[in-house]
Amino acid sequence: MTPINIWDRSRLAAGGLRDFAAGIFDPTLRLGVTGLSRAGKTVFITALVDALLNGASLPLFETQARGRIRRVYLEPQPDDSVARFPFEENLATMRGVNRQWPLGTTRLSQLRLTIEYEPQTMLSRNLHGGSLHIDIIDYPGEWLLDLPLLNQTYVEWSKATLDASDIEPRKSLSGAWRRATETVGATEPANELKAVELSDVFTAYLLRCKQSDISLSSLPPGRFLMPGDLSGSPLLSFAPIRTDTEAVLRTGTMANLMARRYDSYVSHVVKPFFFDHFSRLDRQIVLVDVMSALNAGQAALADLEKTLADVVSCFRQGKNSLLWPILGRRIDRVLFAATKADLVHHHNHDRLEDILQTLTARASSRAEQSGAAIDVTAVAAVRATREATVKQKGEELSCIVGVPEKDEVIAGTSFDGQLEAAIFPGDLPADPANALSGACEGKLQFVKFRPPQSSARTMPSIRLDRALEYLLGDRMS
Amino acid sequence: MTEAPRKPQAFILGESDDTDEPIRKVKSTTGRTATLTLDEVKPDATLVTVPVSAAEPAAPRRWRLVTLLLSAVATLGVMWLGMTLTELIEAFFARSQILGWVAVAVAATASLAAIGIALREAWGLFRLRKIEVLQDNSSRAINLKDRSSAERAYGDLRDLYQGEPQAADALAKLAAQATDIMHPEDRLKLANRLLLEPRDAMARQIIAKRARRVTLLTTVTPAAALDILFVAAQNLAMLREIAALYGGRPSSLSTLRLARMVATHLAVTGGLALSDSLMQHIVGKGLLGRLSARFGEGAVNGILTTRIGLAACKLCRPIPKSEDEQEKLTDMIRELLTIRNGQSPQP
Repeated sequence: MTPINIWDRSRLAAGGLRDFAAGIFDPTLRLGVTGLSRAGKTVFITALVDALLNGASLPLFETQARGRIRRVYLEPQPDDSVARFPFEENLATMRGVNRQWPLGTTRLSQLRLTIEYEPQTMLSRNLHGGSLHIDIIDYPGEWLLDLPLLNQTYVEWSKATLDASDIEPRKSLSGAWRRATETVGATEPANELKAVELSDVFTAYLLRCKQSDISLSSLPPGRFLMPGDLSGSPLLSFAPIRTDTEAVLRTGTMANLMARRYDSYVSHVVKPFFFDHFSRLDRQIVLVDVMSALNAGQAALADLEKTLADVVSCFRQGKNSLLWPILGRRIDRVLFAATKADLVHHHNHDRLEDILQTLTARASSRAEQSGAAIDVTAVAAVRATREATVKQKGEELSCIVGVPEKDEVIAGTSFDGQLEAAIFPGDLPADPANALSGACEGKLQFVKFRPPQSSARTMPSIRLDRALEYLLGDRMS
Repeated sequence: MTEAPRKPQAFILGESDDTDEPIRKVKSTTGRTATLTLDEVKPDATLVTVPVSAAEPAAPRRWRLVTLLLSAVATLGVMWLGMTLTELIEAFFARSQILGWVAVAVAATASLAAIGIALREAWGLFRLRKIEVLQDNSSRAINLKDRSSAERAYGDLRDLYQGEPQAADALAKLAAQATDIMHPEDRLKLANRLLLEPRDAMARQIIAKRARRVTLLTTVTPAAALDILFVAAQNLAMLREIAALYGGRPSSLSTLRLARMVATHLAVTGGLALSDSLMQHIVGKGLLGRLSARFGEGAVNGILTTRIGLAACKLCRPIPKSEDEQEKLTDMIRELLTIRNGQSPQP
């Protein structure tokens, strides 16, 4: 049984037709902001909306720089069943007296931004008078980990999860759960309590792997990490056990119960999430937090690479053919962005981009083969630091200056969240392969900063305009 | 890693709302003191200007017999001129002291003027060379995504238009964005939009103006030999205008050099512009030609002028346009048909 069936495909096609009809007079661009948890999706969306809404200086975003944008405003989002993205609150959190980053997202939210611009072609002037809706979705990054489950059966998933936990660093973290698993036989009679117990131990293991000193990424199912409104639901009471198809097919066994729950999870949780929000995207930006992975070390980088490849392959990238109303729309441009580029001096941005390119090589080559355009860049949606050069013992260190967050530690010093400091995080390696093979472990230390103190109308950013131009520019020409 | 790994470090500055002194003493976490300099507007610090000779491989110079002959004859000419002048002045002195001094003064003025002209010509050629280097760098930046070339091209482009009143606004905008962190190629793109795109529009107006004039002159000139002269003069004037517009210093030698480059360019690409020549054919021999033979010829000359103008734009523009951005003859038709009253473009 493959989890994506003909019914799903026809749903896609129907959606495509509807989009086509609506898009003639009311063009809409669905921007997929993709990123694992802590990659900076919420900050990116907030900064993007803020920059457009409040007219930031975006020299490389041509439509704005040429003065062709007439008006930008927020509209009620089209989907009434989804919460509104708390843009104003997030902005206030970042720009308020305390200057904090917004808390991690726990639920789905949506925002519709409308841009009115001077169209350049006769056709668009007459059809819709130059307006473009941009629909953006924010969601907990953990949920993205579920997408690869769409193409896996319970048996396959169990095997993959158990095999992965046999390798360090997971091996030493998964001890308790694996011991618990061994007490459960696949063919023993189904036992509800035992299943719940096992899933609790399994969840504890996943949560441990996610903590910042280990920072692993490939930890499906995502709702175990961030249950949202499903907390305590029977949908979440399953765990992988060593089993085979035969045991799963026999009714009344433990394996059968687990597999049933897994299938329900996929069809009631993952599929709606994917088909309602991700299957009809126009443009995609994949935010990658390279710094945290570099901080955590080689295992985290390898895991991040695998997860990105798995997740990005779930999206429908490719060139849009003339038949797209029938076949469904595809993502024709993907931007891989290394977020938090303000944590290194801009002299190192080229190297950061090289590392990202290597890290996303598998993810992007698949998208590229399908005909989509790919670009890689280092961005900081909100630039929290300034740059400085420190001369020490005749050596020049390219530093960044900002206020490190409370309890951040570098070279034995911990910060209180008030003092400003110049940080030298180390040199990124010239050869990206060195970063991935762990050769620079311990030589780099990135510190989180508080949002910048800025009296300007909008917050400073790095290459946000370039990202906007790539993602939206051609739709407004 | 090729360089020695440097350890992560922190330097404490103090409370965040301290003053923004650009240079201060800081203490590292290990207790050592160091000097900190806040990086502000400093985009040009890393720029390197390539000497012209390094950027363009010099063609191997060979002493040919013809060169030898020509330089010998030229030297002889200069010697003859010097001697004649000396003799002339001596003759004046023999006639009267005052007349002699007047002659010396006139000769000095003439030689000063000659030196001035020579300097201007050299400067003009130098500017043309500079633009060629810029083109080389920017095409390398665009084609090979070479960031150091982009950085050089950006610096050269700003230097090229520094001090030009009509570029002041654009340069100020660029300077305001100098603290933004962006890739050199993006910066170049920005400079292209702010500095060059307004010039493109002006160049189109120049071409249109000259093309219309050529058409009119050809139509009304009675003698065929005369209109060749007119067309040539108009085209040379157009070349000078376009070169000046894009930052060249139009002098006779550089204009001639440009004319030679345009001719070569047209000869090379002539075969490719098939659709253009087809249009020329129809306009010249077809409808317009039926109406009036002279007017048909005028139209053909106008189209020729437009083509020369477009080629000149391509050669003079410091940042080359990509194939699909380039204006074609057909794009110019609308410009040719709109007559702007009163505001003739001035470089």
